[in-house]
Amino acid sequence: MSTDHPEEIREERGAHGLQAIMLSDPDLVVTDAFGLRNTGYHSAPPGDDTEALPVPTSLLVDAQGRVLWMDQVANYQRRSGPEVVLAALRKHLD
Amino acid sequence: MSESPEIAKGRGRTRTLGTSLGFIAVAVAIVTVALWFRQIDQVAIPENRTVFVAFFLTAAALGVGAFVAGTRWFGGLAAVVAIFLGSFLPYTVAISRQEVGVAAIQVGDMIPRFTAVSDHGEPFDSEDLHGHIVLIKFFRAHW
Repeated sequence: MSTDHPEEIREERGAHGLQAIMLSDPDLVVTDAFGLRNTGYHSAPPGDDTEALPVPTSLLVDAQGRVLWMDQVANYQRRSGPEVVLAALRKHLD
Repeated sequence: MSESPEIAKGRGRTRTLGTSLGFIAVAVAIVTVALWFRQIDQVAIPENRTVFVAFFLTAAALGVGAFVAGTRWFGGLAAVVAIFLGSFLPYTVAISRQEVGVAAIQVGDMIPRFTAVSDHGEPFDSEDLHGHIVLIKFFRAHW
């Protein structure tokens, strides 16, 4: 889920060989439904018309739709690597 | 009133020192920037960025030192570049804080129902996730 438009996502999917369902949320409707709009420093590159961005967040959701685990970064330059997500999957799904 | 040849010679020496500092500063800055962007490219920025910030600030400080010592114009140019590059990362680290509002979703909450459009232009309904364990990632877009 990102503020990218579908055509931008398509390009990135090709460039990185991504397999997941990729959803477009340019107006932050879904981001706001989850309350994840960043109210801190907004740092879109110059020329980008996005009014705001989500705080980078990973959510592990169970079969009923309940959040089992979530990971959020306080600083956008740091993201949780695959090892953090895999550890959470092991912990909650074993 | 003209200064003595000894004083002029002394000033020449500090300007050589300042110019050298300018070049050392820009070299430190460029190497640090190159390493930083390599880490970004490999999605491998370390958890603790203190060492990187220290190197960036060192480059900026050396650049300032070049001006304090007095430098020729090309050393000054190098020092300006070093100060700019050396200040950049510490600045972005300082301002990059991300915050959510009080209504943000938390562990234990049910996710809200939502619809969106996929990259293939197909409509997506979160009801389709029911019965599946899923990992949802919100990210900051493609750049």
